[in-house]
Amino acid sequence: MLVLGGPGSHESHEEEGHPERPERVSAVLAGIGDLDLGSEVVRVAPREATRAELTRVHDGSYLDELGAFCYAGGGDIDEDTYATFDSWSVARHTAGAGLAVIDELSRAGDGVGFVLTRPPGHHALAGRAMGFCLLNNAAVAAAHLVARGERVAIVDFDVHHGNGTQSIFWNEPRVLYVSSHQMPLFPGSGTPGEVGGPDALGATLNLPLPAGATGDVIQRAYEELAAPSLEAFGATWVLVSAGYDAHRSDPLADLKLTSGDFAGLSRFIASHAGPGRLAFFLEGGYNLQALRASAAATLGTVLGANVALEERSSGGPGAETIERARRARDRALEEAHELGGRA
Amino acid sequence: MTTVAVGFDYSEDSRAAADWAAAYARERDCALVLVHAMGILEQASFEDARASLAAAGADLAARSGLADARVHAHVDYGDACSVMLRCIEAPISASLLVVGTRGHHAHAGLLLGSTSLELAEHALVPVVIVPGQR
Ligand SMILES: [Zn+2]
Repeated sequence: MLVLGGPGSHESHEEEGHPERPERVSAVLAGIGDLDLGSEVVRVAPREATRAELTRVHDGSYLDELGAFCYAGGGDIDEDTYATFDSWSVARHTAGAGLAVIDELSRAGDGVGFVLTRPPGHHALAGRAMGFCLLNNAAVAAAHLVARGERVAIVDFDVHHGNGTQSIFWNEPRVLYVSSHQMPLFPGSGTPGEVGGPDALGATLNLPLPAGATGDVIQRAYEELAAPSLEAFGATWVLVSAGYDAHRSDPLADLKLTSGDFAGLSRFIASHAGPGRLAFFLEGGYNLQALRASAAATLGTVLGANVALEERSSGGPGAETIERARRARDRALEEAHELGGRA
Repeated sequence: MTTVAVGFDYSEDSRAAADWAAAYARERDCALVLVHAMGILEQASFEDARASLAAAGADLAARSGLADARVHAHVDYGDACSVMLRCIEAPISASLLVVGTRGHHAHAGLLLGSTSLELAEHALVPVVIVPGQR
């Protein structure tokens, strides 16, 4: 069963010529349509996230500023990020769609969630919008689960590092943040030496990959480095920051993944989640064809539906970065433990 | 030698900041690093961005009477605030950060998008905020 959150009325969050555009949602809907899921799809209407739900991860003063900025007509917040008059409402519904999906999955005790709304969220910090993101949707959902006593793993395969999510849960031992991303690339963070704050050492895991890296390398990075962390952490819920801009056709980055590779990653992630405890959140992905095929690959794979897949990619650079990442991470953890021991 | 890092996004405010930083570096015998933050959408390749920034640095050196060798260009991915904060760390190890009041997209009177205010809040070294022409 697919629990689909959204899309809701996101279309008025739009800026002419910007790649983070409403058609992205239509592309994913088309991809879901390709799966012929029929009555297996349960749609939940997005609801507005409340202030209390948002302030679990965002500063109240930032929420006030963002609301006021939108009501004054909006505009460009920085060189990447825009908001319109409606964006404040759209963003709260997007964050709320994640909460609605989680609540429906919890009620049903079964199924897989997909939060299909925008703007995306993983760059949004506690106190700042950036990288197309206004509110951190996956973080709001994770904090909602933590408040219920759950242990949450957030796996982020968007091609960009989810600096907002990492920062929000930096010192939170009940949330494991795992990110694979191209590096160097925006936002510049996400080295393997970033392992979490003093109360949450090891609860941040970064898997940076060089431009040109293919699916075989990223899959190995997950199996060799992420699997042990996920197993040791013992998440009761798994949320996925599902950005599809690591696809080889994406205009904003240079990884070489195919829809077949996203299927492999999704199968790996799903193997670490119990029934009714897995939800995907749409982050990036700016080539509409690739987005359609890759989102279908994710959902077709985890739901066991028939889906046409592009051949998996292999032979790209980056195999040596896996071992290097392991060593840098071990060193950072050792140093942090020594520091902690001395304090 | 101490190092001064100045944020540069080709806006008028950032030019004013760069001029101030160059004059300061000349007087105090400091190295000057011109810093440019690349967003997601910036279309220039990293190498092109570095070349443009190096040209702006050479211009600044000529205009301010600083030796060329004293002026460096540094391009990094990220938002302006994080990129400036990373300049405090090795290898740049800046001991002073300089920024303009607002760049291309910041909004007067709003905290939202104000690199200068956020930087002042988080930096562990002094931050100079240079007012542009009003
Ligand atoms: Zn992305």
